[in-house]
Amino acid sequence: MIYLSTFLNGLTIAGYLFLMALGLNLSFGLMNIVNMSHGTMYLAGGFIGWTVLTKTGSWFLGLLSAGAAMGVFAFLEDLFFLRRARGNMTMETLITLSVSIIGADLIVGIFSGRTRQVKIPKLLQGAFPVGDFYFPKYNLFIILFAVFFGLIFWYVLKRTKIGMIIRAGVDDQEIVSTLGIDIKLLFSAIFTLSGILAGMAGMIGGTFQNLVSGQDSSVMVYTLLIVIIGGMGSFEGAIFGSLIIGMAFTFGSLLAPQFSQFFLFAPVAIVLVFSPRGIFGKGR
Amino acid sequence: MGGSSKRATLVKRAGLGLLAVALLVIPLFSSDFTMTMIIRYMYYGLLTISFGFLAGELGLFSLMTPVSLTLTGYTIGLCQTKFDIPFIPSIFLAFLVSMSFAALCGWMADRSQGVSFLMLTLVFSQLVYSLALQWTSMTNGTTGLLGIRFPDALEIFSENTKVNHYYWTLLIFGLTIFLVYRLITSSYGLRLRGIKNSETRMAALGYHTGLLKWSAFMVSSLISSIAGVLFVYNTGMINPEIMTLNSSNQALISSILGGVDSVLLGSIVGTVINRTLELTLGSLTRRYATIVGALFLAIILLMPEGLISIAKKLVYGKDGRPGRPVGGTVQGQSAEAGDGAGGTGAGLRCVTPGGSPEEALASGGPGDVVSSNDTEGTEEKGGKMRR
Repeated sequence: MIYLSTFLNGLTIAGYLFLMALGLNLSFGLMNIVNMSHGTMYLAGGFIGWTVLTKTGSWFLGLLSAGAAMGVFAFLEDLFFLRRARGNMTMETLITLSVSIIGADLIVGIFSGRTRQVKIPKLLQGAFPVGDFYFPKYNLFIILFAVFFGLIFWYVLKRTKIGMIIRAGVDDQEIVSTLGIDIKLLFSAIFTLSGILAGMAGMIGGTFQNLVSGQDSSVMVYTLLIVIIGGMGSFEGAIFGSLIIGMAFTFGSLLAPQFSQFFLFAPVAIVLVFSPRGIFGKGR
Repeated sequence: MGGSSKRATLVKRAGLGLLAVALLVIPLFSSDFTMTMIIRYMYYGLLTISFGFLAGELGLFSLMTPVSLTLTGYTIGLCQTKFDIPFIPSIFLAFLVSMSFAALCGWMADRSQGVSFLMLTLVFSQLVYSLALQWTSMTNGTTGLLGIRFPDALEIFSENTKVNHYYWTLLIFGLTIFLVYRLITSSYGLRLRGIKNSETRMAALGYHTGLLKWSAFMVSSLISSIAGVLFVYNTGMINPEIMTLNSSNQALISSILGGVDSVLLGSIVGTVINRTLELTLGSLTRRYATIVGALFLAIILLMPEGLISIAKKLVYGKDGRPGRPVGGTVQGQSAEAGDGAGGTGAGLRCVTPGGSPEEALASGGPGDVVSSNDTEGTEEKGGKMRR
């Protein structure tokens, strides 16, 4: 029975990490940069959501404002900094790295970096009995939320024209731009979207765990692990990667608490040895 | 080569000579604090050079530079505090551990390029970090290993421990710098820069590029390991703090502040500036990381060649490079790389801003980031990856 509850916990962690990985993967697939400020957006989003929650008392308003604020942040980052180095992927990545350094320090400055506990909204408090233990409603919410976003993205990416443009952009940007599609605008839109996802993931994850400074880099690393395992720029990869990392996280803590962190890296090493581009990685 | 080049050589030699003399006589009339600071500059400088060697020579940005330092430090610390192994074998063991790990990582990292290399090295560094943090029975967790003593047998320069430490650090630092200089100016360095400019071309010429890249990774790790020996004996302790993401970032920031292409001079200048800022701003404001980060961002956007380019413009004239005509397509890659043997960083200039016309439009204009020489490397790799 302990395995079932560990499994469900792993699923929960996979849920909010999936939101992170989805955004990182989209921006990687399209723009070929690793957004190192993605973890910063997570933590900043969480703190902003917490602030709105304490001011207004509405958790869902906090969630929305976390997403909105980080969307604006990502849009501005793209507009003022990333566009200036477009095409040079290493430079763009270094820019996001510097933004993450500044952001991490400002978060400590503005929100004092103390541990914050985000209250679970009334609607989602309580738990269901599952067998001989109780499964919190909130965990179920995280899982459903992730599945919901996964389905939306799956539909948009695979079934709509916008999705076609995005997938075409992942495969070949130059051809897409010759077809008269504003690739600059597309990049901005995707980067903004990844910011919104990261901000909301921060609020959701921050409610599940706590918010504490330094979490930006640890969440960033987990997200990177997911992206590396699943394959960069792959939607299916983000799903499987977050499931693997979520399970490795909870089962690692259960079976070998002393090396739980270390066991997160084991699946990555195995995948890298056999398939350097990740499970679903394309030949890019 | 015109007169400006001769003058430049003269300036360079005079500067180096003066610096060497100054470093040698400093202990005679300076405080322990000054010496501690210079020792800090030296081991952090080596760490930056370890980063700069990969970034400047190969165009690979690594976020695991402090890993070799940490592994060396922990091995030495454990040998001394837990197992009572004497000095020489413990040094040997330390290098064995850090270089074995580097050999493994280098093999895996060789399979990735550009941005994925950055990502992969971050994961490797976090792996070692989490091990150092969680294997508390060996590493003492966040506290780390304390009270690592400087070997008594090495007290030969002076009665004063600080002065003795200083001269040993200076000796090893100087030797390492000299060896790295020889390596960069040798044909080996040329081959690495050849890979940076065009890996496919070097492969076509018959060079085993994978092996060359792996060996460069090993050299970089060796430099970091040497920095580890200096670090652990000078500070007397080692803890996971030295290999957090922030610590990797500091090496990267230092290198880019100084100038990525100038592996030795740029790294050292960048380290001195970065660490001095850390000290002075750190005492003034608690938000100094924001200031350093903003400075870093400004350098990337406005001056991708780093602060060293200002000095170069002063010495060589407006062009900022030793005697060659401004602009023009004559600066082919091979000619440019061939000149690299002449000076440490001079031969690594941008060639042609590679890439599509769309990219040229996207970039603001001349002097923009796109025209830095990294474009060439990543573009080439991007093209290769796509195939």
